[in-house]
Amino acid sequence: MDIARRVIARAPAAAGAPRLTVVTPQRGRGAMPTSEELNELVRAVATNGDRQAFAVLFKHFAPRVVTYLVRGGTPPASAEELAQEAMVVLWRKAASFDPARAGVSTWVFTIARNLRIDRHRRGGGAIDGRDDADIDLDAHPDPAASPDDRLDARQREQRVHAALRQLSPEQARVLHLSYFAEAPHAEIARELCLPLGTVKSRIRLAMINLRRLIDATEP
Amino acid sequence: MIRHHPDDALLVALAADRLARGPAVVTAAHTERCAHCRARLRELEVVGGALLELAEPAVLAPEALARTLARIDASGTAQGERDAAAGALAATGSREAAASPAPALSRAEMRFLASLPAGMSWPRSLRGSTPTPWRWLGPGMRWSRVSLADDRAANVFLLRIAAGKSLPAHTHDGIELTQVLHGAFHDGRERFDAGDFDEADGSIHHQPVVEPGGECICLASVEGRVAFDGRIARVLGSLVGM
Repeated sequence: MDIARRVIARAPAAAGAPRLTVVTPQRGRGAMPTSEELNELVRAVATNGDRQAFAVLFKHFAPRVVTYLVRGGTPPASAEELAQEAMVVLWRKAASFDPARAGVSTWVFTIARNLRIDRHRRGGGAIDGRDDADIDLDAHPDPAASPDDRLDARQREQRVHAALRQLSPEQARVLHLSYFAEAPHAEIARELCLPLGTVKSRIRLAMINLRRLIDATEP
Repeated sequence: MIRHHPDDALLVALAADRLARGPAVVTAAHTERCAHCRARLRELEVVGGALLELAEPAVLAPEALARTLARIDASGTAQGERDAAAGALAATGSREAAASPAPALSRAEMRFLASLPAGMSWPRSLRGSTPTPWRWLGPGMRWSRVSLADDRAANVFLLRIAAGKSLPAHTHDGIELTQVLHGAFHDGRERFDAGDFDEADGSIHHQPVVEPGGECICLASVEGRVAFDGRIARVLGSLVGM
């Protein structure tokens, strides 16, 4: 059975033959594709132009990208348009996706974020100077490019996921708002009833704890 | 050796695209030359990906997937031709030529870049933004306002201070971010070299001194009102428009 059918078959909402439509994204936790499955789906898109695989990726990511964009202040209509664009980028760049460098969710997150930067700001470019035309990077070699430091991306992602689940609800909320709120500091202060001046230290603390949990997770 | 880095609160905001444009270009000017912070940024992108997975999915229009596939089909031919062209270029060994070109520099930008000391690298995060010509601020002190292409209101400027001179003393309401592009200064407690980053809030009344041996060029972003001390202050204040 191909990868798209396998993933869909596990989703109770779509037990029948896979269709190229968006089913209302009400899937139980068990229906979430694993990171290996996501990698396989992207590979199927890259090697065979597999539309069923693309549809599964679309149903998984596009509604979440819309949430990220709308929470960040993008009007819903533009958010949906941008999410579609992000998925078009995924289709086009599927062949250059390297699962050893990043997981699919990280990749989609950066695609959506960079499109948001382009859309809201025009000009500029990738936030850390890692764009395609980059030739100066040799002067500052990336530690991740060296074999010892290049912890398998899948392993790294699993650790981050596990660590996020172990974080206290309050710290998890701080991180969620840091990434998703339109004005994170103000919203964190309001929701957690904190003075605005202490929000940064809460974010730093949440990150310290997250790193500690990531390091403590056995591979 | 870079010793002063942006903190996690700033890097999270950069990774999530939640920084205003001014702070974003200054922080990005640091990460683009700091391998350590690029690695941290990648880690924060993994966190972003994990949070994206956990996010509550929005309900899309029923035809969203069909529309996306139609866009893929519509662009398929053009993309195929581009790929073929890129492949031909790669085959002839000019791979760089196939990469997307950097935006062309305006004459004003080129003149400005020519005024910089030899060997100083110009941040990529400032691509497309035009600095004004250097303006006199005081003996051994010059400054340039950087007008960002996509946020004209951002308070971003460059300071160019001669060896042994002090940076203009000032306090500010908001956060001031500084990336040292060239040379070094000492703020009374610590030394900041090229590549180092500093974040100061309004409680700090600082007057860094440029180290002897060479001039220092810093890129700074200020949020909120800045109050400079003395006459220089009034000149800069009026020029920056505060």
